[in-house]
Amino acid sequence: MALKVYVDRMSQPSRAVLIFCKINGIDFEEIRVDILTNKQFSPEYKAINPMRQVPAIVDGRFKLFESHAILIYLCCAFPGVASHWYPGDLFKRSKIHSVLDWHHSNLRRGTVGLVFNTIIGPLNGLPSNAQAAKEGEKLLVRSLAKLEDFWLKDGRFLTGSLQPSIADISLVCEIMQLELLSEKDRDRILSPYKKVVQWIEDTKKATAPHFDEVHGILFKAQKKFRERVATESVKNEVKSKM
Amino acid sequence: MTLKVYCDRMSQPSRAILIFCKMNGIEFEEITINILKGEQHTPEYKVINPMCQVPTIVDGDFTLFESHAILIYLSCKYPGVASHWYPSDLIERAKVHSVLDWHHANLRRGSVGVIINNVMLPLNGVPSNPQAAEEAEKTLEKALTVLETFWLKDGPFLVGRSQPSIADLNLVSEVMELDQLLSKELRDRILSPYKKVLQWVEDTKSATAPHFEEIHGVLFKTGKELREQLASQSGKNE
Repeated sequence: MALKVYVDRMSQPSRAVLIFCKINGIDFEEIRVDILTNKQFSPEYKAINPMRQVPAIVDGRFKLFESHAILIYLCCAFPGVASHWYPGDLFKRSKIHSVLDWHHSNLRRGTVGLVFNTIIGPLNGLPSNAQAAKEGEKLLVRSLAKLEDFWLKDGRFLTGSLQPSIADISLVCEIMQLELLSEKDRDRILSPYKKVVQWIEDTKKATAPHFDEVHGILFKAQKKFRERVATESVKNEVKSKM
Repeated sequence: MTLKVYCDRMSQPSRAILIFCKMNGIEFEEITINILKGEQHTPEYKVINPMCQVPTIVDGDFTLFESHAILIYLSCKYPGVASHWYPSDLIERAKVHSVLDWHHANLRRGSVGVIINNVMLPLNGVPSNPQAAEEAEKTLEKALTVLETFWLKDGPFLVGRSQPSIADLNLVSEVMELDQLLSKELRDRILSPYKKVLQWVEDTKSATAPHFEEIHGVLFKTGKELREQLASQSGKNE
């Protein structure tokens, strides 16, 4: 029975799992769970993942959620996976665990805080929370600085590695979510961090062509969101002149 | 060279590491970094851990931070560690990873938020943000419900296990912070509906005796002092 992968390509950790499977030739069935239309709350999906989040996998009778746990499981369960994704060496592996753990409360929390409160929430009619967006951006910027000065100080990839690991896919997919911001905001936030910008390119190349293919939906959404925001600000400008 | 463990017994993840080392007879040197006094921000400690947090370990040339990563490293490095702490079976291990990952944005985030808003800010005379306080309590209650109905549904310990794993040490230390620092009224309101969670805390204490009580000693003492201080502060305000 083929591995089933429940995902939404708008979700950062979903994209990480998809890219990983494709680059390693893992046979799987992709099952879309559309977050924007709340499909994660259906009773059918609750049976797969009671946390009602994506991604989740079902491998035979075994169900698993949390993307880092999934990536580690796939590295160990499928023999064809090259060892640089999750090295056998205890020290290298521990550093990968360390950055994956750091990610939750830093890069991820900052990115989600900023993008949700600036773009996703307001576009879905939720009241915008400028304070939460500001705090998200502060945490994001602190996290980018830590990536630049610490996690990428010794090599092209995280924790001083010469080749990418599951941590690189996970964290780069997170940063890609900033593509939903305006071009001006995205560049303002990212451009000071030269190593981070280079690392994103290196990770894209190392996982080509799957990286761009899996991110296709994100770029479509980016175009739509930016057009909507532009329309809203024209409307507001007209209103204010009346 | 002995393993060095930089920690503060007031820190939940620090206690998990200490209990683990003592339970498994791992020789180590405990070096206290006093968080309340800001010692994690000294230049000397920043060299050891640039994130300026505890716990951190230094094992010879190797430095590691993030408590889940540390517990996994110690489980694999020391051959005397019993296999139930970090199972070698791929599926059992994956479940342990899953609950450890879930912890960050759920139990930990909720618990830290509730403690900051109900204990730390009032103690320092800083008005808390009611929206942040409400969100933290919502996150915590949701996390406790998920523990009660999902993570503890199949066994005395997390993910259906009959013996504790590193996940139990870490998550129970988190619950202890709430148990000891919140006022009796708040603790009873928030924690008492969760019978399985309360039993699991007791089971983990028993399974790690006598080290659990010994390592939590600082929290018990400081918690009592902080609760008394807060009670007298609010008495004065009335």
